[in-house]
Amino acid sequence: MTTNLVDQPVGHVADPADRERPTVAQFLRAFARVGGLMATVALVMVVFAAASDGLFLYPDNLLGLLRYMSTIAIIGLGLTVVLVVGEIDLSFANLYGLSAMSMAVAWINWGWPLWVAILVALAVAVLVGAFNAFFTSVVGIPSFIATLGSSTLIFGFTLLFSGAQRFAPAAPPPGRTMDAGEVEFFRGLSNQSLPFGVPMQVLWMIVIALLFWLLLSRSLFGFRLKAIGGNPVAARFARLPVRRYKFWAFCIAGLSAAVAALLDFSFIGSIQPDAGQALLFPTFAAVVIGGASLQGGRGSVAGTLLGALLLAVIANGLALLAAGSFAQQMFLGVVTIGAVVLDQLTRNWRRDR
Amino acid sequence: MTAVPGPDGVVIEGLVKRYGDTVALAGLNLAARSGEILGIAGPNGAGKSTLVKVLAGEVTPDAGTITVQGRPWSPQLGASRIAIVHQEPQLFPNLTVAENLLAGREGSRGGRPRLAPADVDMLRETDLLPFADHLLGDLPLALQQRTEIARALVRNADVFLFDEPNSALTEDESAELFARMHTIADSGRVVFLVTHRLAELAAHADRVAMIVDGSCAMVLAPPELTEERIARELVVGRAAVTRDDRADSRRDAVPLLALTGWTHHRAKFVDVTMQLGRGDIVAVVGVEGSGGRELVRSVAGFERTHGDATLAGRPVRSGGDVAFVAADRADSLFDNLSVGENLYIRQGPAIRRRLGLLKRSAATRLARQARSDFLVKTASLDTPIRALSGGNQQKVAIAAALALAPPVVVLEEPTRGVDISSKAEIYRLLRGFADAGGAVLLYCTEDSEVFDVADRAVVISAGRVAGELDCTEFSDAEMLAERIALLTAAIPVVGGSTHQSTGDAA
Repeated sequence: MTTNLVDQPVGHVADPADRERPTVAQFLRAFARVGGLMATVALVMVVFAAASDGLFLYPDNLLGLLRYMSTIAIIGLGLTVVLVVGEIDLSFANLYGLSAMSMAVAWINWGWPLWVAILVALAVAVLVGAFNAFFTSVVGIPSFIATLGSSTLIFGFTLLFSGAQRFAPAAPPPGRTMDAGEVEFFRGLSNQSLPFGVPMQVLWMIVIALLFWLLLSRSLFGFRLKAIGGNPVAARFARLPVRRYKFWAFCIAGLSAAVAALLDFSFIGSIQPDAGQALLFPTFAAVVIGGASLQGGRGSVAGTLLGALLLAVIANGLALLAAGSFAQQMFLGVVTIGAVVLDQLTRNWRRDR
Repeated sequence: MTAVPGPDGVVIEGLVKRYGDTVALAGLNLAARSGEILGIAGPNGAGKSTLVKVLAGEVTPDAGTITVQGRPWSPQLGASRIAIVHQEPQLFPNLTVAENLLAGREGSRGGRPRLAPADVDMLRETDLLPFADHLLGDLPLALQQRTEIARALVRNADVFLFDEPNSALTEDESAELFARMHTIADSGRVVFLVTHRLAELAAHADRVAMIVDGSCAMVLAPPELTEERIARELVVGRAAVTRDDRADSRRDAVPLLALTGWTHHRAKFVDVTMQLGRGDIVAVVGVEGSGGRELVRSVAGFERTHGDATLAGRPVRSGGDVAFVAADRADSLFDNLSVGENLYIRQGPAIRRRLGLLKRSAATRLARQARSDFLVKTASLDTPIRALSGGNQQKVAIAAALALAPPVVVLEEPTRGVDISSKAEIYRLLRGFADAGGAVLLYCTEDSEVFDVADRAVVISAGRVAGELDCTEFSDAEMLAERIALLTAAIPVVGGSTHQSTGDAA
């Protein structure tokens, strides 16, 4: 597919010095968000270290912090994809509960093989993603409403089919014995330490982040996703597969919530229906702080990872200082609104230039 | 009707409005007397709509003064004394006619507003009394418009500006509207009438001001005030961009795209038959609302239609056969992408590697090629698209579509808001694409663009093909524009489209 439809204009020969090099200003602009976030994380860490008399810097504390970060990051990366395409997903928190609970019920209550139960959890996630995508891009309901609705719907469903119970492979219902090998394998998915006591979940986060980086920054899918989120009208006129891509974006978000849920279930050893609800705002705030725009078209893996780190640092630090859960709640509210205001400001700033 | 306007009318002096580099109003002078209907005519982009917006207070002019009945224009004055009657009434469809009449004048005493005797008189006078309790949104467009007029009359507006008021009305409704317009003028108010329909200007206006390039070129009064004269004046003094050598462009165009019985699902255009050959550049010409825009969009597959569209004998696959570029750059470019990315965003397999990865090298090569082929002036391909001039942005939008090398490209107003040199380059690029065997379908509202680039012009008016012109037969743009204006006017302006307007209102 060449563009030699028009005669090559005279006097315009490709200049060898004419390299496509980003200018310094462009680099700084791209780095501003990531650099600013790094500085913020460092600053907050220093403050907590000082306020907690160094307790914050204990290796065990930092490792726990990393594990919490990985949960937020894995879900947040999926959410980033949805924000980049210009939609929003509020159902991931309850989907977290639904997918892990369906896996738990299938495995522990019904005695299905572990791998089938895990597949069930992933299938449920894709199904919910497809549900969200259907109402958003086929029926045409704003995704905010569609996913708010599906969130409540799946939470109710989770309570219904699980009998609102807590499940743990170590404590199966009376009369059922779990396969010890399966239990051990499942526990090992996340609850084991790598060298230096690094939680297994962090490795998962790194692998998943690499996949998302390939997807968002190196694939045709990611490139078009960004275009669709940046200007849906132009995308339609340019015949980009808008609906199909939105469908995949919602499915990816669902899948990452399910993966995070299974890993947490493996680590903690038990799961209850509302397990994911406390993750809604931290994840949301992390992604927006990381530079994903609520208006679509922007978002990066590095940004979301740093956003997740910042949120984990803050949650951990506040817990260390025994600030209490009320204060943490208030704080989350402030951070969430602040992140959106920041998004709005940078957007205006970009436009005014 | 108790308005007692002063003797001064409306005086506009030295009105200037710029949008970036584009000058919309270039020191416009215009005086309208009380008691007259002053028609306003001019080609698209001449500044008519900017003038309307300034009078309505939606746009602040950069310089100039407006005096209304001896008092300088101010936002308050604009809001209370100047009434703009649009094609689409800008009222509250969820309120009744009576409530619409009262909205904004409820007073501060709380409680539900009531119709004062004067309001009832006004409803009677405008024959709206039987509909007073109907929801506005349930009524036909004509009655909605009349409500807007009543609203203006009851608050004693003394300047009325009708902006393409009857483009969606039936013949009877239009006649009624014009009768009302004369009544308003006879009561000593100032009436402006902005319309593309030259016959109506000739029939109803007392004088007609010709707006060309942001200033008032002349004012026609009887006996010169005829339809032909307006059509002629509309095109005088418009410089033609260098016209390419069309003699050598292929006249033996092989039919490529054919439309038969092509009808819009909401009858925006009806039963269009048209052919487009390889090497052809065909312009669909029509004013806004004529159905021309919908026609070209339908060829690109973005409107629902009945009828047949074939490409080289087989049904058109709008996906791969036709590339489309919308008129508005906001609808064709991606602000969050760079110049280079905008150039290759439409590409598919050419920039795809194994596992769905993006083939950067191929993409950059394509972008470089397109940049040099289409003479896009940019510091680097990584420059944000917004940093480019309007003309260069438009070149990027068109280049991205042409680079796909589809059999047919469809473009809306390809040079709207573009500087003269970019214009000439865009025309050359389209010609090059056609010469390489492609077919180009344009939607144009500017006659000069038609003359400069098209081989043929399909004039569309009120959803029907009013005629087809061979542009190569015309030696200058004025003659072509005059023929187009006459063809447009030849279609019964308001008649013949009764079904359509009911369809639209539904």
